[in-house]
Amino acid sequence: MRADHRARHLRTERYGPGLFSSILEAPAFARAVRPGQFAMLEIPGRVRPYLRRAYSVADARPESGEVEFLVKTIGAGTAALEELPTGSPVGLLGPLGNVFSLDDVPRGARVAIVAGGIGAAPFPLLYRALAEAGIAGDLFLGGRGEKDLAFRRRFDGIVNGRTHLASDDGALGEKGFVTEVFRSHARQTPYARVFACGPMPMFRALAKIVSELRLPAEFSTEAEMGCGFGVCLGCVIPAAEKPFLVSCTEGPILPPEKVAWEKL
Amino acid sequence: MSDRLAVRLGPLVLRNPILTASGTFGYGLEFTDFVDLAKLGGLCTKGLSLKPHAGNAPPRICETPAGMLNAIGLQNVGVEAFRREKLPKLRALGATVIANVWGDAEEDYVAVVEALEDAEGVAAIELNISCPNVSRGGMLFGNSPELTAALVAKVRAATKRPLIVKLSPNAPDLVASAKAARDAGADILSLINTLVGMAIDPETAKPRLSFGTGGLSGPAIRPIAVRMVYQVARALPDAPLMGIGGIASLEDALEFLAAGAAAVQVGTANFKEPGVAGRLVAELDVWCAARNVAAASLVGRAQAGRAPAREAGAEG
Repeated sequence: MRADHRARHLRTERYGPGLFSSILEAPAFARAVRPGQFAMLEIPGRVRPYLRRAYSVADARPESGEVEFLVKTIGAGTAALEELPTGSPVGLLGPLGNVFSLDDVPRGARVAIVAGGIGAAPFPLLYRALAEAGIAGDLFLGGRGEKDLAFRRRFDGIVNGRTHLASDDGALGEKGFVTEVFRSHARQTPYARVFACGPMPMFRALAKIVSELRLPAEFSTEAEMGCGFGVCLGCVIPAAEKPFLVSCTEGPILPPEKVAWEKL
Repeated sequence: MSDRLAVRLGPLVLRNPILTASGTFGYGLEFTDFVDLAKLGGLCTKGLSLKPHAGNAPPRICETPAGMLNAIGLQNVGVEAFRREKLPKLRALGATVIANVWGDAEEDYVAVVEALEDAEGVAAIELNISCPNVSRGGMLFGNSPELTAALVAKVRAATKRPLIVKLSPNAPDLVASAKAARDAGADILSLINTLVGMAIDPETAKPRLSFGTGGLSGPAIRPIAVRMVYQVARALPDAPLMGIGGIASLEDALEFLAAGAAAVQVGTANFKEPGVAGRLVAELDVWCAARNVAAASLVGRAQAGRAPAREAGAEG
């Protein structure tokens, strides 16, 4: 059940400047969370930021009670998290939002995971579920340059499929957008589902590609959230068949055909 | 919880003075994992309109120092869906429900109130004449004492329920608006709604909200809200008031009671700490028990012995 958990900061694992994993102790949360869900996180007693921020849950280990978040330092809250001393309290509201669906993907099938930069955040936990369900997952990880791909190390040993890296400048992996690398492989591989998370231009491009190739897809969308549980209605996303989707409760996992990308 | 927390606001008796503010508490049902709704003094619903309303385009919110701006634009399910899908559940949970209503025009407000008049489980009506995020209705009524009076009189005639009017801090003369609402039949006044504000992205030079401006809420506005409650309580000593504005702790609630509010509504803090209102009820009970005082005795303590002349300079 979702709750306002009082977690404890255990450790930080760094992948590059301003790119890190924050690992917290929150046993009840670790047991409850499912792939694709998020938490509204706060460091108690801090004046800024005032509101909590939404973080995708990167991984959860029920046996140790650990919950992990992949974080990119972009402001006051993420900077504070990066420097958080061991043992510090962290408020963890959740788990919130809907989940990546695997129930209708058969054992032995192959899915694709397409991530841009910090969009890698929700996928270690999905890989845990894929392994349990006997589903192979190819990882397509992209970024502007080598720095953006630092999170690739988090996937060492957990990708039960092929890994394709792409960088805009060609410094690491294939040169070009990760969506184009995905497109070239998806033509040959009949993926049962595509899971994606990344910046808006990546989502827009990928929405077109999966539509052309008629691939079922689920995007982990991002919108600025005030509460995370469907109350403030701040995080709406323009929708295809009605005015808006409430990202925090109707998402964050949305099939791309439900989103009005042209209005974003 | 004992009777020492019970408060009376005109015709409305509440089990305690801690309520939740419209627009920050959904329809109450979103909070059942965090708060026992039956333990609250009451909850004010998301502003209800006659028809479902989609609200404004995103971005709708942005954080500001010690608070936030919002321009949601009164997205809501409409009064019929509220009555059918939400109200029965709220009744079953034992919640004291205050239906917040709004419309584009006088007849829309009246129609929403009429649609609720025979519904069971509505303790009071709160009239939103102060939302700054819609192009019609809302704050336009609240900013004119004449329009306020005309609207309140029409709604008053349409309901037997306790009638709360939620005042706008953006009104040119708050006390005049408060008097107009009371003279036209408002039983209770709630104040304040959000203050009109704006935030601009320094890189793009575009407003951060698609609506351009938004309503400022959170602790940033608390001193203004306390001053306004104090001021209206001073000018209208017989008017029961609900204080609203950046309440997040017991101390904040006590401050509003001292200023002259008989009850308070917790707003933006619900986003940050969904259990906050329940926590404040428990803390107030402990506080009152330790001092052997009734909550009702805390109302207006700051007013005693103060010269009324101080208010002139504060008029905006």
